[in-house]
Amino acid sequence: MSRRVGRLTVLVAAALVVVFGAAGCGATAEQAVIKIGINAPLTGDIPKVGEGTKYAAEMWLEDIEAAGGLEVGGVTYKVELIIEDNESKAESAVAANTKLITQDQVLAIIGPQASKQAVPAGEVANNLECPMISPWSTNPRTTKDRPWVFRACFLDDFQGPAAAKFVTEEFGFTKAAVLYDVASDYPKGLAEFFKAAWEELHGPGSVVAFESFTTKDRDFSAQLTKIIDSGAEFLFTPQYYDEVPLILKQAHQLGFDKPIVGSDSWGSAELVNLAGEDCYGCFFTTHYAAAGATGATKEFIDRYEAKYGYVPDDVAALTWDSLHLIEQAIKDTGGLTGDIEADRKAVRDALARIKNFQGITGNMTFTEEGDPIKACVVVRINEEGEFEFYKFVEPE
Amino acid sequence: MAENQAQRLLAGLRSALAEVPLLGWLLGMVAAVIVEYLVGAPLARALGLGRVPLLFGVDLLFKSPLLVPSALAYMVLVYALPVGSVALVTRPLANRAAEKLMVLSPVVSVVVHVAVFYVGLHSWALLNDYRVLVVKLTLLAVMLTLSLNLVNGYMGEFSCSHPGFMALGAYTSSVLTVVAFVGSERFGPPLLPSALGPFLFPLALIAGGLVASLGALTVAIPSFRTRGDYLAIISLAFMLVVKSLIENLEVVGGARGFMGQPDWAGLTTVFVWAVACVAMINSFVRSTMGKALNAVRDGEGAAEAMTVDTRRTKMVTFLFAAFWAGVAGGLYAHVMRYVNPGGFGLQKLAELLAMVYLGGLNSVVGSAAGGVGFMLFSEALRPLEIYKWIIIPVLLILVMIFRPTGLIAFREFDMVSLVRPKGAPTRRRGVPHVAAQD
Repeated sequence: MSRRVGRLTVLVAAALVVVFGAAGCGATAEQAVIKIGINAPLTGDIPKVGEGTKYAAEMWLEDIEAAGGLEVGGVTYKVELIIEDNESKAESAVAANTKLITQDQVLAIIGPQASKQAVPAGEVANNLECPMISPWSTNPRTTKDRPWVFRACFLDDFQGPAAAKFVTEEFGFTKAAVLYDVASDYPKGLAEFFKAAWEELHGPGSVVAFESFTTKDRDFSAQLTKIIDSGAEFLFTPQYYDEVPLILKQAHQLGFDKPIVGSDSWGSAELVNLAGEDCYGCFFTTHYAAAGATGATKEFIDRYEAKYGYVPDDVAALTWDSLHLIEQAIKDTGGLTGDIEADRKAVRDALARIKNFQGITGNMTFTEEGDPIKACVVVRINEEGEFEFYKFVEPE
Repeated sequence: MAENQAQRLLAGLRSALAEVPLLGWLLGMVAAVIVEYLVGAPLARALGLGRVPLLFGVDLLFKSPLLVPSALAYMVLVYALPVGSVALVTRPLANRAAEKLMVLSPVVSVVVHVAVFYVGLHSWALLNDYRVLVVKLTLLAVMLTLSLNLVNGYMGEFSCSHPGFMALGAYTSSVLTVVAFVGSERFGPPLLPSALGPFLFPLALIAGGLVASLGALTVAIPSFRTRGDYLAIISLAFMLVVKSLIENLEVVGGARGFMGQPDWAGLTTVFVWAVACVAMINSFVRSTMGKALNAVRDGEGAAEAMTVDTRRTKMVTFLFAAFWAGVAGGLYAHVMRYVNPGGFGLQKLAELLAMVYLGGLNSVVGSAAGGVGFMLFSEALRPLEIYKWIIIPVLLILVMIFRPTGLIAFREFDMVSLVRPKGAPTRRRGVPHVAAQD
């Protein structure tokens, strides 16, 4: 027994020598690489969103690689994207963020897209002090009281007033009607923001009809009749693309021929397929418009379409802008130290300092909260059923 | 000749390893963690891994398969060798200690073992935040799997409402802690000083568990009058009801979710609750009522005839299972510090069921294996994206074909016999075999 123990001791000692010996000669310098983490819902409820994120990120990386790398303060760095799938689950998004930050040592994170992942993942990024931009999350809590978390899209408390401003300037109307789903979070919030903004512009009582329904309702004739009787000059309905066609059809059948205005939830190709001619001539506020785009936006759309075979949606465009924001911030640091914590801090500070960034979804400047001040795009659905750029609504 | 010697050495090693008590293995685990702290980082660099592999290299399996040999070498050098050698070297010592503890009291012995395991686990996890998170989520998965196993395995019914119970527990305890200790725009300033929080946190979790039990009652009353598929249908409906109820409750944020939970679910807290859960469920299933439960599963009429109060047995079990799902939900809410009704839907249910049926019905060890295995597997396969959701179902189908009741099913879990010292000297001296009757 003691002999066996003795032999084992020798073995352990030998193993330890090997371990320490190997450790000694392992001190090779790490190559200068900038790692960017992408936290995207590649599987789960919204895989199309994840796909758009991934494709936009890959296109961005192509550009960087074509340029030979990212030049920061005179040094050219190789850029590596680390794409993690968050499976549209909060816990996977948190796990992915933690892993990206602590293990992969990324400099910054793009994503998650949906608020239910972005809110908890933002907590991790903020606690571990790593800059993060969520391109698509509209929940105010994603960035609230979190200096390390930014977003690339505008919030609903801007979109509502922007729609009100657009209608006032464009048509000079004073009487509004609103139709919204009271049981769904996004339409309800946006309808309230719109109402408040409209009444501020035209005085109390200027929203002559504020009608609601509940999710899965399919008959809106009662509400629409009231709206028609109220003498409203137009209808604002911040609904999703599955309800909007029904609302449009029923409104037209009841003889409502005044303008109908919507919000960014209209922005799906399905809308035109379902509503057909009924949606032609309607307006909605959104992040960007594919048809009739010019300059960098058009270039992005054409490249994306040529490469992946379909017109990119707003997620892809916002992801593209987020990546360029990070790129800009990294360049603005004036040089990286190699100490990841100091570099993250520098990138965060540079991101917060960015003024008037020229993105394909508009010009952006971040507020204290990390939300962008940016213009809202008004889209008109033209007679070919395309989402055509109509005008920008600039923030105050 | 040399071959013979090697064989003898191997046989010797095997018999020596057989004499290592659990305590020895746990000491080896602690030693391995110390080795990782000392040489892990430089060794990983030397092997070309860059950084210490986090989950035994499983996360590298599909992401960068070329690194797998290095990861394996790392596993051998940092984990296998220290664990093996320390376990062997400390074998006499560990046996003597285990024996002393056993003589003192089997309960003390179990507690000491759990404590040593905890020291090893905690220090292993502390190396990296990702490990801490994965360990926490895995412990919660084990709790949930075990409590679902109570209904689906031990009781032999098919319940789908566990995500609903989790949601009830999560929201109840979150609201309690936020109202009492954090305060929010909606609920106003905190009612109690936050210094009291960590002490009263268990009460909030228990309240969450009780609310979940209350919810279980509404499922149990109509569905336990009959047997068969009714429970599955009613419990599925219950889960959906809870989800849409929360979605429409503006007070707790509705579909936007609820956040602001204090950061009290540290690794220690989660571990203590998980151990409590395993211990209580284990003693429940080994109690008279647990045996009655198995009788109900195997033949309700026969059990009834043998004086088993089947209705009461089923009720108690179902409420007990819901309680632990609620507690786990509360812990989950405080680990994530954000809850959203969307997280307690069909996807969660599918995961929980997969863990139960993968691990094994009617078995505590199986539930633990199911929870840990599924979590590790899930993390390992994540880089495969959509193919992950082809591989996991295929694996489940294979398990169902070749082991229809799961990997480790119908196994009794006796902690006391596990912590007993091993090897010849012990048997000679005749240690009290306390739990030998099983």
